[in-house]
Amino acid sequence: MNAMKKDYHITQEMIDSYGEINGDNDIIHYDVEYARKRGFKAPIAHGLMAQGYASALGAEKYGAQWFTRGEIEVKFVGPLYPDETITVEIDDEGRLNVAAGERTCIVGSARLRDAG
Amino acid sequence: MTRPADVKPREGERPGTRWEEFEVGAQLPSFDFTISPEIVAEYHRAIEQEPAGYSLDGRKVSIPSVLSVYLMAVLYRRYPPMQGGIMAGNKFRYYGAISAENDTTVVASGEILEKFEKRGRRYVRYSARFARLDGKLIAEAENISTFPN
Repeated sequence: MNAMKKDYHITQEMIDSYGEINGDNDIIHYDVEYARKRGFKAPIAHGLMAQGYASALGAEKYGAQWFTRGEIEVKFVGPLYPDETITVEIDDEGRLNVAAGERTCIVGSARLRDAG
Repeated sequence: MTRPADVKPREGERPGTRWEEFEVGAQLPSFDFTISPEIVAEYHRAIEQEPAGYSLDGRKVSIPSVLSVYLMAVLYRRYPPMQGGIMAGNKFRYYGAISAENDTTVVASGEILEKFEKRGRRYVRYSARFARLDGKLIAEAENISTFPN
């Protein structure tokens, strides 16, 4: 199967919109001072937001089977910040990678079960 | 229609759970919620997808990760959240599509699987199960998060 790739430019507004549907109130996603205190340069995006991008890409890559046999596993290895463009990629072997430029943010896999 | 905030205790509302208080093997009580077409549309907008849903065999369905906005509710309903929790990783296995045209009632439950410390951080791993009212499985998940306490 072909590799799939898509870019997203992350904004604080997108993070806020995700926080609204996600229903959380974790200040690390919008409080600059708190985020800096925790060692980040800015508020961080929800990892699940980027995982949602990856799940949507999985649907494009695998079609109908994604909804009944899809399996996605992610490890959040670096923060996603507002005003960054990230690239979400699933390669031809189902390896998932999300990066902001040269900086890897998420690694994992998006594959079909029993797909060999 | 159940917004995630309707079923998920929010950070700062109640005293947050300390890491010592998580019990490995603890059952995370079941609860139900309804994913409506409006929820699907809002979720899809939040992940930059077409709000009407994904076309699948002549019907509209949700990208299956819509369940992820309910994922932490499974944990937080028993163990209210601390401010500053950070997700380290998770896994979803999808078994059935969720309609973007009709309401879907989902029953969720889970279990604390493990807690551990690594490089000075304290982690909790738990499982979640999402099924229809008739018991048919929609998705299974596992999540690992770290909390600043």
